[in-house]
Amino acid sequence: MRRLSPEIPRRNQKITPVIAGLLLLAVCSGAAFGADPGAVARGAYLATAAGCEGCHTDKEHGGQRYAGGRALATPFGTFYSPNITSDAETGIGRWSDAQFLRALRDGVRPDGADLFPVFPYTSFTGITDDDALAIKSYLFSLPPVRQADRPHDASFPFSWRFLLNFWRWLFFTPGSFHAQPNRSAEYNRGKYLVTALAHCDECHTPRNWFGAMQADAFLAGTRSGPDGKKVPNITPDPTTGIGKWSEADILNLLKDGQTPEFDFVGGAMKEVVDDTARLSDDDRRAIAVFLKNVPTKPFEGNR
Amino acid sequence: MGFTRVSIFAVPAVLIVLLGAGPALAQAANEKVMQERQALMKQQGADMGAVKGYLDDKNDLAKASAAAVDLSATMKKIPDVFPPNTAGPNPDGKYETKPEVWSDNKGFLEQRDIAAKKVEALQVALKGADKAAIQTAFGELGKEGCGGCHQKFRAEIKK
Repeated sequence: MRRLSPEIPRRNQKITPVIAGLLLLAVCSGAAFGADPGAVARGAYLATAAGCEGCHTDKEHGGQRYAGGRALATPFGTFYSPNITSDAETGIGRWSDAQFLRALRDGVRPDGADLFPVFPYTSFTGITDDDALAIKSYLFSLPPVRQADRPHDASFPFSWRFLLNFWRWLFFTPGSFHAQPNRSAEYNRGKYLVTALAHCDECHTPRNWFGAMQADAFLAGTRSGPDGKKVPNITPDPTTGIGKWSEADILNLLKDGQTPEFDFVGGAMKEVVDDTARLSDDDRRAIAVFLKNVPTKPFEGNR
Repeated sequence: MGFTRVSIFAVPAVLIVLLGAGPALAQAANEKVMQERQALMKQQGADMGAVKGYLDDKNDLAKASAAAVDLSATMKKIPDVFPPNTAGPNPDGKYETKPEVWSDNKGFLEQRDIAAKKVEALQVALKGADKAAIQTAFGELGKEGCGGCHQKFRAEIKK
């Protein structure tokens, strides 16, 4: 030891450039391996479109981004979003790509537990591999936050997680998004955003007693939306929906939160607009084109 | 004796009138303030429309600037149309004022200040006559000013 110690500084001097080189290599390969910069940037955009941060951040109580803990009151109980930062212990830092895809699109955690459908995997099931993994790259490029998840406060019988298996069997149709070849690229992009990535349907489509979306009332609005609030009909119904809105009216809403009467949306839609305002004009227009073409349904809302 | 006989009936009668008229008067006052509140909000909406009209080439800069001056004036009047304990449905039956306006009055007034600052920023942008800057300021005022308040202090009526 005594003999070695005087040598260490000298050795260090020689080694420093090597270490620096190795570090640089590690950083570069790390970036290439876990986080291709292109994928991170794309993932950031896609995460905005998917609104991940809104639910997975307890903004009201100054929570850190993506660390979870935000309460979401539903008719089935109050759910607390989990930590989706890359923290290995309390977040999703140990999840493989396959595990991430399974949770996002099939609603199953790596430990095999079924996720509550308050997490919109019923819509996310349509997200492409590329988009999903870009979102993962983005999440993993952010600093990990150590914060344990808060248990849900679901009401019986929804509190019984094992029943979710049965629910899935009844109501969940897994499957990737398929473009309709007889429709425009814009329409299909809009459909992908509304029904999969941006999951507009999750709030705007009424649910049945078991909390499954009612396909026959797609986007027709409900009185029992998140936090017990009314969610409007966004089908082209002229009286209860947005049939009288022009495409420009829809764009104004998604960009500035402005309705045709120059009212400005509040409530949960305010948070959504914070995200849609950051989308590209093309994506906002695609949403508008798709919404103008969905089946017209009156607002019933009593379910 | 005559006095006593009168008072036996008069006391409950006066009480009934007082008890009945109190809430009725309060309600009439509430209705008036609700009308004023909604009128002020509609006026602000029309002002926003005038600014948007300029952005969409439907009217001129002078009209948009005048609307911004009006917005600045009406923002100052907001506390006047939210006197204590006047929560409830708006006359148009679409939205209601949440009690949080008074239970978190500090937050409410802070939100008003945010909106007023965004109006100032809009006025600066209008003076520069740069449409991109005006669009940004307009969007900020709508989303964070108007929308920020609607998010916390207004609710849609479930009908």
